[in-house]
Amino acid sequence: MTALAVQTTNLSKSYDNQSALDRVDLRVPEGSVYVMVGANGAGKSTTFKILMNLERPDSGNASVFGLDTGANGPEVRAHIGYVPEHYDAGYRWMTSARLLQHAEAFYPSWDSAYADRLVKSLDIRMDRKTGGLSKGEGRRLQLVMAMSHRPPLLLLDEPTEGLDPVARRQLLTLIAEHLADSPTTIVIATHHIHEVESLADHIAALNGGRLVAQMSRDELQKNVRRYELELPENWKAPAGLVATQTRTSPDGRDAQWTIIGDERDVAERLTSSGANVREAQPLAFEEAALALLSGERAQ
Amino acid sequence: MTTTPLHHLPRLSQVVREQLRVTALSIRLPAIALAAIAAVVTMLVIADFLRGRGGVEFAPELSLIPAFAGALMPIAVWLNEQRFGAGFMWTLPVDRTRHALAKVLAGWIILIVAVTGFVIWLLILALITKGNITGDEIIRLLPASYDPNVSAVDPSTLRTIRWSFPPVLRLVPFFAATGAYILASAIALGFRHPFRWIIGTVAAVYLTAAIGQGIADDQFWALSGKLIRTLQEGRYGLDTLLSARAESLRTVVTFSNGQRITAWRGLPVVTDWIIAVLLWTGLGIGGLSAALMRHRENR
Repeated sequence: MTALAVQTTNLSKSYDNQSALDRVDLRVPEGSVYVMVGANGAGKSTTFKILMNLERPDSGNASVFGLDTGANGPEVRAHIGYVPEHYDAGYRWMTSARLLQHAEAFYPSWDSAYADRLVKSLDIRMDRKTGGLSKGEGRRLQLVMAMSHRPPLLLLDEPTEGLDPVARRQLLTLIAEHLADSPTTIVIATHHIHEVESLADHIAALNGGRLVAQMSRDELQKNVRRYELELPENWKAPAGLVATQTRTSPDGRDAQWTIIGDERDVAERLTSSGANVREAQPLAFEEAALALLSGERAQ
Repeated sequence: MTTTPLHHLPRLSQVVREQLRVTALSIRLPAIALAAIAAVVTMLVIADFLRGRGGVEFAPELSLIPAFAGALMPIAVWLNEQRFGAGFMWTLPVDRTRHALAKVLAGWIILIVAVTGFVIWLLILALITKGNITGDEIIRLLPASYDPNVSAVDPSTLRTIRWSFPPVLRLVPFFAATGAYILASAIALGFRHPFRWIIGTVAAVYLTAAIGQGIADDQFWALSGKLIRTLQEGRYGLDTLLSARAESLRTVVTFSNGQRITAWRGLPVVTDWIIAVLLWTGLGIGGLSAALMRHRENR
């Protein structure tokens, strides 16, 4: 059985009676690149804050590498490289070099040579004051701070936000290199699913604080498919199908449905309802991820 | 079970050292400005001395500058930190309470170094200008029956005595700065909006006093006035902490012939000062402990 880097059980959190997380059970296998998708306010950032023990859950618990995040806050944070959603320079008077030196003091595992390499790769100007950095420059500096102590877990909350296309590509290449170089589990919360498509091997969809689905990439390919259907007259869809992006021809005889569920089971149910399944095609990663989100709504 | 090797936490001494470096760096500009002001004052004092004016008396206990520095220091210490919420400092792998305490300790060390510098500077000024550095002086002591509301004092009621300032009271500036620093740190860490609380409290005190005066409620007015006076100038009041009462016991009196002199209403008592230090510092430590509770790990 694969060990889990992150596990949450019944994790719930509300702010002013608004549910931010509702009984979320995350399972992030060690060594995976786990992509969390969801609209703003879906609960991605709150999950990260609870994992960092920056927020206390209302109920449920969370663990990182088997350590309870509430009981072992400092130990858990020592294992995490965290890039929060919003860039906060903090010490605006510090140069980038001094800020890195500051971060280094807190991580005995800091790899200075690797930090230098990252600084060069991301083209960070070390003599600039952090208060004067652009959003993108600040983001890059945050990434260097998060990665230089070679944490076994990286929590990246919208890591490419504020970066220009070239910097985005640079950053994603760097993450791929980091993965090849250091055994790391990465949890990425992002709106830009296509950017992390090549890295992702697991996906979770959050909607309104609820975990709609989580599965491996292989399961995603198997379970989210586009079905080409030939329909009889007055056909009625079988109950309980989670279908999104339905498209039907004007005469009502041909349809294209994206359906979430085991392919054999879905096909059997469609066939027994009288529909003829012409083809069931796997979707591209981003399309499938979006189908998970909209599937929840359709259900 | 995880197979990931666990990372170590930084040593607390390392955390304190880093906070010391960061705090020292963050206040370097005001420190340079103060050093420049001290240089100008030194030149003016020496110029005065060369023109034949009297030397500077070495009496650091009379200066409220260390206490002011202690009260203002927490602003400098916490200015760049997001004290509440998910600020950068709290994402580091250090127990939050210990981290906050380490930062308070770092600020205190810098404060004490600064106060030492200030006392040495006063001593150097006194030595250069051949001022009194022993604390041995002739003073005029007012009678116990002295009433500050009586406009003129009979000179024959004053006693002239030779008095030697107790050497232990040379430590007053250090304890004054420490007491003020701990109290101010408790406010800075305990309240999300400390200035609002300070201004609100001061306004409430004045408003209460004004209402008391307005409705001519003598008992209320007398009680609140006595309470404020006790806190300020009582035997163990703030003035005892900040100057061993050297400030409040010295007063300018006018003789029947119109001559004005500085006289003492009483003499500083070492045990009173020690008790005041213990009381106020204890109060500050209690407040600081309560404030640190707001920054504990979410267990």
